[in-house]
Amino acid sequence: MSEYTVFAPASLTLDRTGYLELYYFMVLNRKLEERLGILYRQNKVVGGLYSSLGQEGCSVGSAYALERGDFLAPMIRNLGAMLVRGVNPVDVMAQYCARAIGPTGGKDLNLHFGWIDRGIISPISMLAALVPVMAGIALEMKMKGKKNMAITYVGDGATSTTDFHEGMNFAAVQKVPLVVVVENNLWAYSTHVSRQANVADLVVRAEGYGCYGEIVDGNNVLAVLDATRRARARCVAGGGPVMIEAKTFRRKGHAEHDDAGYVPQEQRAEWEKKDPIDAYRRLLLARGLVTGEPEIAEIDAKITAILENAANVALAAPFPDPSTLMENVYG
Amino acid sequence: MVERQAVPVRKPRFAHVPDDGTKLKMLHFMKLVREIEDRIERKLYRQGRIVGGVYVGRGQEAISVGTAIHMEKDDVVAPSHRDMGVFLMRGITPRRIVAQYMGRRAGLTRGRDGNMHMGDMDYNVIAFVSHLGDNVPVAAGAALAFVQRGEKRVALCYNGEGATSRGDWHEGLNLASVHKLPVVYFINNNAYAYSTPMELQMAIPDVAIRASSYGIPGEIVDGNDIVAVYDSAKRAIDRARAGLGPSLVEYKTFRMTGHSAHDDAGYVPPELFEEWQRKDPILRFEKALVDEGVLTPTRIEEMQKECAAMIDDAVDWAEQQPFPAPEEVTRDVYYEGK
Repeated sequence: MSEYTVFAPASLTLDRTGYLELYYFMVLNRKLEERLGILYRQNKVVGGLYSSLGQEGCSVGSAYALERGDFLAPMIRNLGAMLVRGVNPVDVMAQYCARAIGPTGGKDLNLHFGWIDRGIISPISMLAALVPVMAGIALEMKMKGKKNMAITYVGDGATSTTDFHEGMNFAAVQKVPLVVVVENNLWAYSTHVSRQANVADLVVRAEGYGCYGEIVDGNNVLAVLDATRRARARCVAGGGPVMIEAKTFRRKGHAEHDDAGYVPQEQRAEWEKKDPIDAYRRLLLARGLVTGEPEIAEIDAKITAILENAANVALAAPFPDPSTLMENVYG
Repeated sequence: MVERQAVPVRKPRFAHVPDDGTKLKMLHFMKLVREIEDRIERKLYRQGRIVGGVYVGRGQEAISVGTAIHMEKDDVVAPSHRDMGVFLMRGITPRRIVAQYMGRRAGLTRGRDGNMHMGDMDYNVIAFVSHLGDNVPVAAGAALAFVQRGEKRVALCYNGEGATSRGDWHEGLNLASVHKLPVVYFINNNAYAYSTPMELQMAIPDVAIRASSYGIPGEIVDGNDIVAVYDSAKRAIDRARAGLGPSLVEYKTFRMTGHSAHDDAGYVPPELFEEWQRKDPILRFEKALVDEGVLTPTRIEEMQKECAAMIDDAVDWAEQQPFPAPEEVTRDVYYEGK
């Protein structure tokens, strides 16, 4: 049985720090979600918990291509992208546990928070609603002559929605610097992609908008990084929006409450073998980018310690005071 | 130099060619559409005898006529506001249509709504929804019902190129393609969506390219050539009826008026009107029929007079119809049974 491997595309230039940072953020993404899973079962998390298990490469690889001044709008499975942009694990835990020190002061939950100073637009629950929002931000960049791009994410399911279509069409007509990453994880809640679209690859829809599109292995963080960097270069140069279809798989249910019993066991087993972090770890070792297993274990241990501390800080924080209820309702 | 043999000029060959009777029927309906719309837009509207706005499909008559001619009795159609031919071919009389425009009780909406905002389920014509593209999921729903009931019926749906930018259009096409529904989507690509030209509407030269987004066949057809329209529509409808799923057929045409009677279309370069006037679908078809010996110029004159007489009658009749009585205002708000 051949083992799933990842590789560095020929066009990719990345130093050792870059390679290690990609690893760091993917593991941070995964372990933070694992830690949140424990908090969820301890009833410390308020509301739902959404996992990106198996999709960490999409979030981390794409966000790592961003430059200063770029804007990013994550969806519910892009914790990794937010971490790359500088979001602190304490913020994430406090937000999930509805604490006053969280980014929304305990008023909103899970990843529904943004950070404008770091170019992060808060996710909108309605999937693909961010496509026209980011097309608008990209239009501003174009009109002001900024050499920046806007990037957002949708799943396979969101490509069937109104907002995706109208946003993509507008972005293409106006040739704005927008990158849309379609994380095709095969399932939109319980709807398989074959019941979602009558096409084998969602990227064919790029042609219908008259923009460039590309398929990447979403479980290869390096391929995602490379594709996003090239997309960035293209749209910053005035080439119009780019659609990247990242082929991946949602290894958990839609959310923590969903056991995904509708997903065939063999499909899940097949994709477990393609774990993006395991494959990337093998690449680091094979190419001598780390000195050996101990160096990897050291990074992992460091992340575990960061998360342990973050959980302690978040859980020690109070819930919001009732007197703050009306704060931040209006701008 | 080698003498090259002259290649004989061949007419395009179509899978489906109308017989002479069908050709005459199509010409009659195209002329009738032109006549009723001219009368409404250029006379009655200016005389203040029309209630509300007027939207016509001048220059686009070949599309509604050349497609709707293939409809079977039980098929369902969701026209746009530029598809007068659909109403007439389904058997809705000019009398009722003029009454509709005049806000009379005898109109299709009993004087409640104006102009092309009309339908009649007795004729399987779904009332036009103002928001363009909204009829796309409606037609898909009708087609889904046919599949679920095991009926061999087909739904036809018409839109302009502007509507293809809309979410309803996308969601409807996606649903229809995933479920392989018996529906055909016709696009009247008349180059302008109100004042927005094609290049500001989408970054692609042809709407038909979008068919690949849904994994369905897409075809580009000269919408001012009714013989080509006839052929393409027949193939798409046959395909849908055979259970092979939806198609997207793009008819290239031109809106020879403003968006509506109140719009002088000053934003359209005059040379475009001149260019497309030369491609007028009715004059073109008449010339072809005379060349083929199917028609004589005298007969064309007579057909014109017949159409004019029908519309004279419709206007006279409609004007004698009463307006709805105020006490009827709450009728038809909720379904009250057949």
